[in-house]
Amino acid sequence: MKGMSDPEETVENTKGNFSAPLAKPSVRARSGGAQPSGEPLIRAKEFSVYYGSKAAVDRVTFDIQAGKVTAIIGPSGCGKSTYLRAINRMNDLIPGCRAGGVLSLDEQNLYASDVDVVALRKMIGMVFQKPNPFPKSVFDNVAFGPRIHGLNDRGTLAEIVERSLRRAALFEEVKDRLNDSALGLSGGQQQRLCIARAVAVDPKILLMDEPASALDPRSTTRIEDLIGELRGVYTIIIVTHNMQQAARVSDMTAFFYEGRLIEFGNTDEIFTKPRAKETEDYITGRFG
Amino acid sequence: MELGTRRLFNRSFSFVSIAAIVLMSLSLVVLLGPIVIKGSKAFVFYGTIEYRELMLDRFSRGNRAAVEAEKARAEAARKPVLDLIRGFEAQLDTADADFRRRYRDDFNELKSLVLELLGPMPGESEPVLMRQQYGQTRWDRARIKLDGVLYVEEYNYSDPTKMGVKVLKPRVDRFRGTSLEPLFGALEHGVKDMLQPRLTWYWRFLFDGSHDSHFFGGIWPEMLGTIYLALGAMLFAVPLGIITAIYLAEYAGESHFVSMLRTCISSLAGVPSIVFGLFGLAFFINTIKVSQSKSVLAGALTLAVLVLPTVIRASEEAIKAVPLTYKEASMSLGASRWRTILTVILPAALPGVLTSIIISMGRAAGETAPIIFTAAVSVGKPLAVWQTLAQPTPALPWNIYNLATEHQAIDEIRHVQYGMVLTLVVLVLALNLTAIIIRARISKKLRG
Amino acid sequence: MQRQLLISKGARRFNRLGALFGHSLLGAIASSSVIALLFIFYFIMRDALPFFRIEGVREFFTSTHWYPSRDAPEFGALAIFVGSALVTLGASIVAVPLGILAALCLSDILPFSVRQVAKPVIEMLAAIPSVVFGFFALVVFAPLLQTHGGSIIAAGAWIVFAPLGLVAVAVSSDAAASRLPLKARAAGRVGAAVLMGSLAILALLALTGFLNRLPVSTGTNAFNVSIILGIMALPTIVSVSEDALNAVGRELREGSYALGATRAETLLKVVVPAAASGILAAVILGVMRAVGETMVVWMASGNAARIPSPWFNVLEPVRTLTATIAGDMGEADQVTGSARYHVLFAMALCLLAFAFIMNLVSEYVVRRSRKMRG
Repeated sequence: MKGMSDPEETVENTKGNFSAPLAKPSVRARSGGAQPSGEPLIRAKEFSVYYGSKAAVDRVTFDIQAGKVTAIIGPSGCGKSTYLRAINRMNDLIPGCRAGGVLSLDEQNLYASDVDVVALRKMIGMVFQKPNPFPKSVFDNVAFGPRIHGLNDRGTLAEIVERSLRRAALFEEVKDRLNDSALGLSGGQQQRLCIARAVAVDPKILLMDEPASALDPRSTTRIEDLIGELRGVYTIIIVTHNMQQAARVSDMTAFFYEGRLIEFGNTDEIFTKPRAKETEDYITGRFG
Repeated sequence: MELGTRRLFNRSFSFVSIAAIVLMSLSLVVLLGPIVIKGSKAFVFYGTIEYRELMLDRFSRGNRAAVEAEKARAEAARKPVLDLIRGFEAQLDTADADFRRRYRDDFNELKSLVLELLGPMPGESEPVLMRQQYGQTRWDRARIKLDGVLYVEEYNYSDPTKMGVKVLKPRVDRFRGTSLEPLFGALEHGVKDMLQPRLTWYWRFLFDGSHDSHFFGGIWPEMLGTIYLALGAMLFAVPLGIITAIYLAEYAGESHFVSMLRTCISSLAGVPSIVFGLFGLAFFINTIKVSQSKSVLAGALTLAVLVLPTVIRASEEAIKAVPLTYKEASMSLGASRWRTILTVILPAALPGVLTSIIISMGRAAGETAPIIFTAAVSVGKPLAVWQTLAQPTPALPWNIYNLATEHQAIDEIRHVQYGMVLTLVVLVLALNLTAIIIRARISKKLRG
Repeated sequence: MQRQLLISKGARRFNRLGALFGHSLLGAIASSSVIALLFIFYFIMRDALPFFRIEGVREFFTSTHWYPSRDAPEFGALAIFVGSALVTLGASIVAVPLGILAALCLSDILPFSVRQVAKPVIEMLAAIPSVVFGFFALVVFAPLLQTHGGSIIAAGAWIVFAPLGLVAVAVSSDAAASRLPLKARAAGRVGAAVLMGSLAILALLALTGFLNRLPVSTGTNAFNVSIILGIMALPTIVSVSEDALNAVGRELREGSYALGATRAETLLKVVVPAAASGILAAVILGVMRAVGETMVVWMASGNAARIPSPWFNVLEPVRTLTATIAGDMGEADQVTGSARYHVLFAMALCLLAFAFIMNLVSEYVVRRSRKMRG
């Protein structure tokens, strides 16, 4: 987990800037499953998000690597959730919100005019802070995504539901309750259900916005273990205000402050040898 | 002001405001009390042999042998009184002019009153009007008729400062010394045997048609008409209303068009109901001619326009009350906006929307003014569904008005009026209660 | 992945057109409400203007000679307008104080459990159809008024004035006593209370005696209708006012309590003024309900097109616009095209215009209060 870095990459930890060497020729087309780790997947270049005239995310530049768990930390209001939601263009739902700069997924600028947002969101799964299963049955919750994208065969759906629930470490607990209302599950179970729902459409990327902050400690641990299991299968970006969680769970960490990216690098180094003063202040709890 | 006085004022203010609430609740009790008590008398009352005979003849209900045996007993009890009448009638025919002049009018009045009470005399020809073919079918009406036979109403105008005071004089005084004198005592003591009242449970009041302008029978045409109108109104108002609510909640921005739309909706809610009625007449019937003249269809359309604002408003609230996070989750999974609305938001808003529909249905069922010119008639047969497109119908609200004000014999059918009012009130309150129960379940459903 | 993410220009255009089409379709269906309102205005006006063209405007609004079925018909509707105004005024006098007090009680005074019982009562009252109220007014209330009219009005006066008198006596006796030196104050308060209390009771008894002797010639009159209309308007006023009072928020109330104000003082001096525009909107809505009501007035107002003498004599029968429309249309419809037919639409136009203006006023009031609150 920690300390593991791809030896063929040169990592430069410079404040606010990250540049990778020329990308290796790699297998492009892939569908689900493990990806060659370490490849830059999501690249931000002077990327900003504006609400009206205020910049919630201010000219951020860094790359998120495929197959790794990247944590984004920072005090409240620093723009980390906004950045996360920019990746699957959920900010489009907010009127008056616009983007500047470049945010690209696999070299494709996500904010280009010919991007199909629906297809994008199929590739990216999202888990929210407060578990939000639909007021439907467990089965229908997980099957919702595949159904939208055209899958209607009951047998295939059942397979997908089981597979997703297993992947979210929930199947054993709900296998007899698949047709009961999802709202009857406990908080921790509901959040795992949301994870199952998100992975049911076979995304490549999982976005998690403070996924455990509304849960009790035991459920939090289970979620964190789950993230560990899912690493490598998906590229995971997790926003958290809990630094210990970031330290436990992630390979790379980005520290945001007031909309700007202050520092980005290996989790170990961020937490033991931070380079920027703001980072150090935040980690040592001087503000938060 | 001193603290003590301020406290006193505070307490009296609380007292006064609580009194306001109590007064309101009391007014509800005062309003519904008589309606429930007297309305139930349309369903539960003491029915006489005449009633059972009516049920047998016209509705084929009851045990023929038992009824006929009872009738025989009743006729036996009546025989002395009727004999007295026949005897006096014969006397009149053969008496001198003086005698006739003195007693003819009074006797005719007495005879018609007795026949009203007991029914036509056996042996005489059958009257034309159904209401005269039977005696009093209800014991409470019979008692009133009996009083009418036994007493004459006169007005005493001796006191010039007051209006005439009603005075009851025994009718027997007019026939003192004649052979009719014993009739009154016999009638008073024997009326129970002559009519044989028994506790009756006429639940079919709801389902029988009316016979002879509601003198007999029930209120089924009115009930059916009300049901048609209410359902028809919702048929038109619900799709229109829900789609408008979706537009307002999900698609509309803050443009001038949208604020004008909202103003129009609230203005529509404020239009007086009689104006809707006139509009229905002028537009649906006279202009686009959905029917030649009054019809259920025209009435339903008019009612739909009436309840539309309520459906829109309540549905919009229900849709807006769906937590935003459901929408976010759905869109993050790649669902399009329309798909999210159809598969996530609407199902979650359904209880709220349903509540608004049910309450509006109650409103449509109870409104009178919009249907006066467009759909309602006072007398009619229950309609088949395909007839509703072109034919008018009786309806509970209109017929309550009609029976209470324009009917030929308002006092005779009081029980029918109260029965109709009770039915309408129960119908509307039951709908509202259903809506309240559904609303109480919403929180459970959305919050788990 | 690049390929997968992109959408072809054609597909994009299709999507956009589809979204535009869907949006417009929804908007068009939503506009049905606008269309309905426009149509209502148009068709009522279309059949109302001919009346004014034939008969002119002056007689309609200024004359009290209402004889539409004569050979030389007269269409002076002033008495009918006065009738509508009178019953609306009466209903407001009943419903507004009662409604606002009840709303205050619901929002601030009643405990939660009692509130859960009171709200269904109000909703039931709101749900009862108007023809049921009309039936009650005609069949139960009118005969009562005719036989015991004086006593009922006297009882009503007691219900209204006794609590108010109580409060007034308590407050004024204290105010008077506070002028006295400290030692005499307690005695002074009692003395003043007794004095003023006796005065109040005497006044009330005199009023009762006068009311008891009032002759009630007919039970179907403006008083009957005003009471019933007031009861009908109550639920509207109560629920909208309650919403306004709740919207004021806890902070304002807590600030006042923290300064040592009693609950009554907080409510009357802080909360009600803050909710004033919402309460005004509630009153307007209640008034609109009373003006537009047809069945109750048709059945129980007496339907006499006369201005009572004196004008505030509510014990006399009156006629309202709504009842005239409902009642006369049956005969007038036979002669579509005649002035008789069109005058009813003219009345409807007046009602419609009044309701529309009142609605705009109420919206303006609410909007302005929102702006002020920021």
